[in-house]
Amino acid sequence: MDPLRSYLGRLLLEEITPVVMVLTTPLAEAACRKSGLSFVDMLAPFSLFKKIDVPVRTASEVPYRLQMFKIRMVYASDVRKEDYEVADERIKPVVSEANEKALPDLLSDPPQLEDVLGKPEAELCPLWIKKFNRELMQTLSYSEHETFDHPVACLLVVSSMDKEPISKFVDLFNTNQLPSLLNEGIMDPQILKHYLVLHDQQEGPQDIAVNVLAEMRSTLGLNDCKLLCINSSTEADGSNTDNSWLPYIKDFMQDFASNHIIPYMEQKIRVLNQQVATTRKGFRNQIKNLWWRKRDDVPEAPNGPMYTFTSIESQIRVLGDFAFMLRDYELALSNYKLLATDYKLDKAWKRFAGVQEMSGLCYFMLDQSRKDAEYCMENAFSTYLRIGSSGQRNATRCGLWWAEMLKTRGQYREASSVYFRVSNEEPSLHSAVLLEQAASCYLLSSPPMLRKYGFHLILAGNSYYMSDQKQHAVRVYRNALFVYKQNPWSYINDHVHFNVGRWYGVLGIIDVAIKHLLEVIACSHQSLVTQNMFLNDFFHYVQSMGKKFDVYKLQLPVFNMSSLRVIHEDHRTYASDADVGVSESTWHELEEELIPSSSVVRTNWLDTQPKSSRKYKDSSVCVAGEAVKVSVELKNPLQIPVDVSGISLICQHSTNLDALTSDVSGLTLDGGEDKVNTEPSVSVFETDEENFVVSKLDIILGGGESKRVQLDVTPKVEGILKLVGIWWTLSNSVVGYQYFEFDAQKKNKKGKRGHRRSLNSSLVVIKGLPKLTGSIDRMPTKAFAGDLQLLKLNLRNHSEYAVKGIKMKISNPRFLIPGDSSDIGLKFPHCLKKHTQSEINLVPYKSTKENFKGLLFAFPQDIEIQAGATLSWPIWFHAATPGNVSLYISIYYEMESSSDIKYRTLCMHYNLEVLPSLDISFAISMSSSRLQEYIVRMDVRNKTPSESFVLHQLSCVGSKWAVSALPSCSSISSVETVSANQAVSCFFKIKDFEADSCKEADRGSYRTDMTLYPGSSGDVFDIARSPLADFHFQERYRQGKLVKGPCSLLDFVVISKAAGNSSEPSPDLQLLSHHTCHCSALSQSPVWWIMEGPRTITHDFSKSYCEVSIQLVIHNSAAHPSSVRVVTSDVMPEKSQTVHPHDPSSVQGGWYDVSLENDIKAISSAKGTQHEKQSSKSISPYVWCSLSSAQIELQPDSCARVPLKVCIFAPGTYNFSNYELQWKVHPSEGAQVDESKNGSSGSGQGHPFYVTVLQSV
Amino acid sequence: MASTACFVIVSKNDIPIYEAEVGSAPKKEDLSYHHQFILHAALDVVQDLAWTTNAMFLKSVDRFNDLVVSVYVTAGHTRFMLLHDSRSEDGIKSFFQEVHELYIKIFLNPLYLPGSRITSSHFDTKVRALARKYL
Repeated sequence: MDPLRSYLGRLLLEEITPVVMVLTTPLAEAACRKSGLSFVDMLAPFSLFKKIDVPVRTASEVPYRLQMFKIRMVYASDVRKEDYEVADERIKPVVSEANEKALPDLLSDPPQLEDVLGKPEAELCPLWIKKFNRELMQTLSYSEHETFDHPVACLLVVSSMDKEPISKFVDLFNTNQLPSLLNEGIMDPQILKHYLVLHDQQEGPQDIAVNVLAEMRSTLGLNDCKLLCINSSTEADGSNTDNSWLPYIKDFMQDFASNHIIPYMEQKIRVLNQQVATTRKGFRNQIKNLWWRKRDDVPEAPNGPMYTFTSIESQIRVLGDFAFMLRDYELALSNYKLLATDYKLDKAWKRFAGVQEMSGLCYFMLDQSRKDAEYCMENAFSTYLRIGSSGQRNATRCGLWWAEMLKTRGQYREASSVYFRVSNEEPSLHSAVLLEQAASCYLLSSPPMLRKYGFHLILAGNSYYMSDQKQHAVRVYRNALFVYKQNPWSYINDHVHFNVGRWYGVLGIIDVAIKHLLEVIACSHQSLVTQNMFLNDFFHYVQSMGKKFDVYKLQLPVFNMSSLRVIHEDHRTYASDADVGVSESTWHELEEELIPSSSVVRTNWLDTQPKSSRKYKDSSVCVAGEAVKVSVELKNPLQIPVDVSGISLICQHSTNLDALTSDVSGLTLDGGEDKVNTEPSVSVFETDEENFVVSKLDIILGGGESKRVQLDVTPKVEGILKLVGIWWTLSNSVVGYQYFEFDAQKKNKKGKRGHRRSLNSSLVVIKGLPKLTGSIDRMPTKAFAGDLQLLKLNLRNHSEYAVKGIKMKISNPRFLIPGDSSDIGLKFPHCLKKHTQSEINLVPYKSTKENFKGLLFAFPQDIEIQAGATLSWPIWFHAATPGNVSLYISIYYEMESSSDIKYRTLCMHYNLEVLPSLDISFAISMSSSRLQEYIVRMDVRNKTPSESFVLHQLSCVGSKWAVSALPSCSSISSVETVSANQAVSCFFKIKDFEADSCKEADRGSYRTDMTLYPGSSGDVFDIARSPLADFHFQERYRQGKLVKGPCSLLDFVVISKAAGNSSEPSPDLQLLSHHTCHCSALSQSPVWWIMEGPRTITHDFSKSYCEVSIQLVIHNSAAHPSSVRVVTSDVMPEKSQTVHPHDPSSVQGGWYDVSLENDIKAISSAKGTQHEKQSSKSISPYVWCSLSSAQIELQPDSCARVPLKVCIFAPGTYNFSNYELQWKVHPSEGAQVDESKNGSSGSGQGHPFYVTVLQSV
Repeated sequence: MASTACFVIVSKNDIPIYEAEVGSAPKKEDLSYHHQFILHAALDVVQDLAWTTNAMFLKSVDRFNDLVVSVYVTAGHTRFMLLHDSRSEDGIKSFFQEVHELYIKIFLNPLYLPGSRITSSHFDTKVRALARKYL
């Protein structure tokens, strides 16, 4: 790029130009004032020559032509160094003037990235900044170490009205009035003088002036005097007036510049160059200079030694500057270089820096050696900085030039760092402007460094703010906003928005202020103090707004929209809000059998749906007069409690049903952001009182607190209700609102889970319907396992219509069973007691079969719940198993009145914690001494930590079995109470009532129920009646799934009572029933045998051996005939080692030896003989005598007696157990396979049977 | 230990995923945004510089008055940035290398989503310990 065309080039051409000092008489000045201008102002437009086209010849012999030229006209009084303070005051208006221009911009939107990048450079660096830069540079004018501000010529002006103009000229150039710089010897007072007589044609004929001019020419010289005519007539403003005097000025200036100033400068350059050449150029001079300077050890002053205009250094400088002004940069550069060494040696740092600066500019203008140029500028800059405060402003100017130079060359990053360095040296206002320029440089660099841009703008903004330029501060912050938009750097974000907001507030643009402050009020990461400050400022401005205003998506508190739940009741109604959280499938399963199937399923796709249901095909339905509930979670991100009031829904209601289909889809699809644009204010939705009522909720959220709130809207008339959004008031001053975003995707996702959950914003409101509310009185939340209670289900009809056809389904009939209408008045637990003998345990399980699943319960058909009436229904509760249980109840009812919806369901849900109480287990073994009798061991363990229970009753279920205490311990009163953590075991006998073989057994001591609690024999609870029987059936069903064993013998029910701590007497008796089902004997065989015979025999062994007759009673309890073989053996089981595998008599119990060889053979011989045979060599003390083996066939459930005889040879006690039974069940035709597997054949050792034989006396 | 030291891990999307003031100077509320500004602006320089060298440790890339920004760029273009006023380059380099190891351990955690905020308190204490050791 041609340096002359660059900004810096033009700047230098305009700024570093010859100065013409102007001295005017008051009258001359007055003449100009008539036109409203000073003399200098009048000439100013004509002092710039775009195309002067003058040939110039400086030191070299080759002339060149000068195109653009400018001279600076200044009053002599201005030729002085200004105070910095005064100069700075002059700069201030430049900035603040721009301030006012910036104001309207502040109301518009902040610029975006694309806008900023697309801007041309000129816009980034507006005119006022350039002006500011110039003004800043001009504060350095007429400094003593530079000469380009020294006047080249002097223009003396008198008016033609002045008396004695000649003497006036002399007076004007009186040294007393001349600038001090001239007098102090810094500037050369011997300068070109030009004399001008100013004539206003309004004040007289031109002749006077011509006369004066002639006089001047004679005395002051022919060429240096000029006449300038002006016309100050007031009428001259119009177009018709004579402006012909203006060209005069132009001509005058042209002449002045080309014929006087430039030749004068040329002349001076040549003279000075000659002088320099003789004194400084050449080898001899250099040596001399070096030697002379070295010797000259002047004490170091900050500015070096004083140089007067006559000193050679000053003259070289003048030479250089003149050459620079006449654009002979090479000449200038060589002189500056020369000077630089001199000044360096003299340690005149300020001058050195000034010279370096100029060399840098020369290099630039020559467009050669960029590196040198930069080096010079850098050198100058750092030198200025080094000399301290006096060089500070010079450093600034140098920096500005340097930065411009870098910008011209496209080195924007370097330029901006220069600006940044400069800004550190300047007061805050200047530094702000400089920082802003630095920022714009970052933007211009490629690639644009946006973050740096933003950062420097922020720095600039802070400086502006410090120097009280708030508009500017806001402006630069605004410009930086786009850099930090959506920025995750939280502190930056907060700082920017908070400051922008605050300053907008200070400027009185409160709405924008609030908009920005809104961004920061939800700052959870800031400290409490900062949060408080943000919030206070926010509320301050909000209050100064003087009215409530709406904020879309106010961040305080945060509404968690993903937690949004819409609860509306159509077919299904809920007893409480907690019931809504239950998964859809649970209710659906419950309702499956309840609701009429026609409305749920179409049998095939050809079936047309009823018209009404098609109408609401895709939309949710709610009922007029019933609240639609919306629950949403809100969170306070701050540590400060916030007051949120008036939280309510925004709804729209339209009564036009036909609009539904199109409207609904339209609304749901364009949800979210689009809607915000089209719906500007929340006030549109404000009131529609006659169509619907919304609830309002006030809460205070503590710091960091989250709450779930429920909002209601109750439509009053039919139509369509749209849930649009939510609004709330923060601290009574800000209304925040937020729209629900139902986008299509989410809807689909939710839709899978059933239409009820989908977040459909539109609800079809249908005519009012009856609605039941239901609850269970005193439903426990905690219970001990086995707890049995009678509860009351209350159903209340709130509407004006009656409902009928009530049905109920309970998810878990183990826990809840509906009672009978007759149960309602009964007194618990006495109603469970067994009544008089009349109906004793003859009631079979009548209802159990039909209630197999026990889920569906239909209330009697005649029951209707009238409007406003309440129906109470007994319901039995039994805590079956320990654990956490959820109970679901669904109640179905139909409408009396005809409407769109024919039926509704009421969903109830209870959560229950069942604690373990008594753990009861039974062990049953066959009695070896009685047929058809079992010994039962009942282990009761109390698992509670503190409760004790009283065992009340043990019952066998069914009429087949009877229980009785063991004869030895008929009183078991010692076990009446089971204290906490204790275990108790009791033994009982049970007997098969129906065993015909045992009919003779006394019935007196056997009954199905046995009281365990002494003195309460009358208080036996009847387990054969509802509800105990029902619950038992359920238990049996459930436990049956767990039991693996083949045959179950019987079920037990133990009823216990909570003992009630002495400290806490329980008012109503707590009853617990424990059901243990499918108990079976530990070992069960189809054949049951006992030995019968005399236990004591007296015999005279002296006569003969004793013969004892005993009987083996064998009972076949299997369902099929079986054959039994009795084998006796005379060999004692003990100590037998020899094995006779094929000898049946050797198959004996007792100790056995594991021998593989035998084992295999044994298995082949007798399947089911698990115990290994053994034989004894020792002779047993008795001998079987009648038979060694007998085979009998037994019919099912029949007994047979096998007579046996034993011979005994000596008195003693004998154990006649040395026999074995082998049986085989013959399954009938078509018997199940598994029966043949299980114990169809087997064998058993004889039970011990002790007989004492005494020697008779 | 440096009196001012602000350590930030910036994900490749220019989101700070870990921030810690590890200097010995008492933490001041108003300085934290200042540090963020400097570090944020230095990202521009890092962006250019990262592609000019093979080294992960870029030394000091930017300065603001007497505060220096040193940067370490991982292979995944996650940037560890340290704003400090001390001059021990070796210490800073070791600090960065050890933090890199810690960071890799975080990265190996299958439950850590790359680019999300590092919330591990263990990481935090380790980083602070390293800062005490090296800076």
